[in-house]
Amino acid sequence: MAQEYLILNILLWIGFYLIVALSLNIEYGFGGIPNFGRALAVLMGAVAVGSLTNRILMLYFGIGGQIVEASGSIKTITNDLVAQNPAAGISLFIISIVVAAILGSLTGALFILPSAKLSEDYLAITLLSISEVVFMTTYYHPDIIGGYYGISVPNFFAFIPGEQRLLLFAVLSLFFAFLTYLFVNRILTSPYGRLLKAMREDETVVKTYGKDVMKIRIKTVAIGSGIAAVAGALYSMYAVNVIATNFSRVEWTFYPFLMILLGGLGNSRGVVAGVCAFVTARITLTTYKFEIAQAFNLPFDPVWLEYILFGLLMLLILVYRPEGIFKEKPIYTKPVKKVLKKEGVLK
Amino acid sequence: MKSPGNKILYTKNLSKFFEGLKALDRVNIAVEKNKVILIIGPNGSGKTTLINVISSFYEADGGQVFFEGEDITNLPPHEIYRRGIIRTFQIPHPLRKLSVMENMLIANDNPGESFIGSIGHSWMEREEELAEKAFNFLKFLKIDHLWDTQAYKLSGGQLKLLEIGRALMADAKLIIMDEPIAGVNPVLAHDILKRVTELKEEISFFIVEHRLDIVLKYVDYVYVMANGRIIAQGSEKDILSDKEVIEVYLGDTYAEA
Ligand SMILES: Nc1ncnc2c1ncn2[C@@H]1O[C@H](COP(=O)(O)OP(=O)(O)OP(=O)(O)O)[C@@H](O)[C@H]1O
Ligand SMILES: [Mg+2]
Repeated sequence: MAQEYLILNILLWIGFYLIVALSLNIEYGFGGIPNFGRALAVLMGAVAVGSLTNRILMLYFGIGGQIVEASGSIKTITNDLVAQNPAAGISLFIISIVVAAILGSLTGALFILPSAKLSEDYLAITLLSISEVVFMTTYYHPDIIGGYYGISVPNFFAFIPGEQRLLLFAVLSLFFAFLTYLFVNRILTSPYGRLLKAMREDETVVKTYGKDVMKIRIKTVAIGSGIAAVAGALYSMYAVNVIATNFSRVEWTFYPFLMILLGGLGNSRGVVAGVCAFVTARITLTTYKFEIAQAFNLPFDPVWLEYILFGLLMLLILVYRPEGIFKEKPIYTKPVKKVLKKEGVLK
Repeated sequence: MKSPGNKILYTKNLSKFFEGLKALDRVNIAVEKNKVILIIGPNGSGKTTLINVISSFYEADGGQVFFEGEDITNLPPHEIYRRGIIRTFQIPHPLRKLSVMENMLIANDNPGESFIGSIGHSWMEREEELAEKAFNFLKFLKIDHLWDTQAYKLSGGQLKLLEIGRALMADAKLIIMDEPIAGVNPVLAHDILKRVTELKEEISFFIVEHRLDIVLKYVDYVYVMANGRIIAQGSEKDILSDKEVIEVYLGDTYAEA
């Protein structure tokens, strides 16, 4: 039983993190935009579910008052409704995902707007700070997602028995990760992906050849943030409880960066490898950290084990294999391959 | 060079200062349509700065740039491209991790370069057209065997050729080249200049180059810069016999010529 729980948990988190890491790879791996505010977009997914969907339900059921208190009643009523009427639950689920994607995109575009002109390092710091400010605001302001009380989210799958929830969400998160993979691959193995890489390599060249770098950056962050927000929404609906502290920069910005660095920037296969390796290691480690600490007689609190090991991993990657597990490959689209074959230089 | 109708590009008292240094001091030059214009001058005389100001990489501190009769001073660089001007870099700017072929392919517009465009298939036709064109230019520059090589692995001369190749991809009306043949072997340099300047039926050229022994025979008009000013202009003959030019630039090499 414990074994099964561990495996499902790993799969669930592989799904969530695949979505986030793939989104980050569009922006950073391809576009060279160091979006250290990734956690912000994920948090927006939670805001979409915890704040917007909840408010829609408040209006629908005619519940007044503060959202924090109302969310409790909404949860009870909605769960009852959904238990009778699965279609309603599924609709609410889909609406939440769509709202999350839109809110994520808008927020991404909005927050990169003032900073899109900055050079890489300033941009990274600015995005990190903006992300922190929003994080703090959602944590201290109860009207967004309940501040430090957090907020309840209905169980849109109340028609499914409780023991099956983890399985269901593991399947859902992997399904959305798969869709994301197909989508991301489609848009990146095209002239758009090539242009993003060109922008990463040298903005000056891209400008010289008539492309508006600001516009590309803003659009790209909007797309990436929209995708990342879907992960935040899924996670919130799985947790049926939203609190800002679940969306820390360590978990949703630094870890995804580590994953794509580990797997290899600029290719989707690398992202998959990086996410799978990282999540498996992390969850196994956190599950067994006390056993590990005892076995090795570690002189510090095992709670720190995770941070220490991942910090170390980061250094090892950067020193020994900066290109990650998989090296990035050139993008040759179908028409380009056709021409290369005709010229007899490609078999 | 009198009638303005023939001038595709001209500058009017163009000036640029770097903290007191007059890098460009009221520069007036003109590029006539379907001609190859050469700018020469000693190191640090302001040639690259002139290119940077025309292409809006630097903001002008005074004066104007006109292209096809319109004032294009300080438009954003991507707007300058839209008007039909492309410039190359003295120190090549390769997209280092991208292959030679990929480097070529970003040098023109493709509907697939937008996010929305990339989802559909409508860009495929254009992509094929560009790929064809790119490969032909690579053959023209004799670097087609390097199509799959990442740009950071190229030699200095090969990078220069890639710069030219990308510029040719752009369908520009005016190509500005900053020392295009530096580091390219003389035989290939002649070959390239000859064939590139043959394109002047469609494209006007504005070239900065130090290797006069190679370049002079392909140009129609010459400007000489020193200390941010134009000190002489005219045909190859006028320039080679100009006393001031010999003194500040040509020195011994061409004194006897
Ligand atoms: N970004 C800059 N900041 C400060 N000074 C600059 C800058 N760019 C150029 N300069 C100065 O302006 C002057 C002209 O430089 P520029 O590069 O235009 O010369 P050039 O004619 O292209 O020389 P070369 O033949 O060596 O390429 C030089 O004194 C140079 O040091
Ligand atoms: Mg120069």
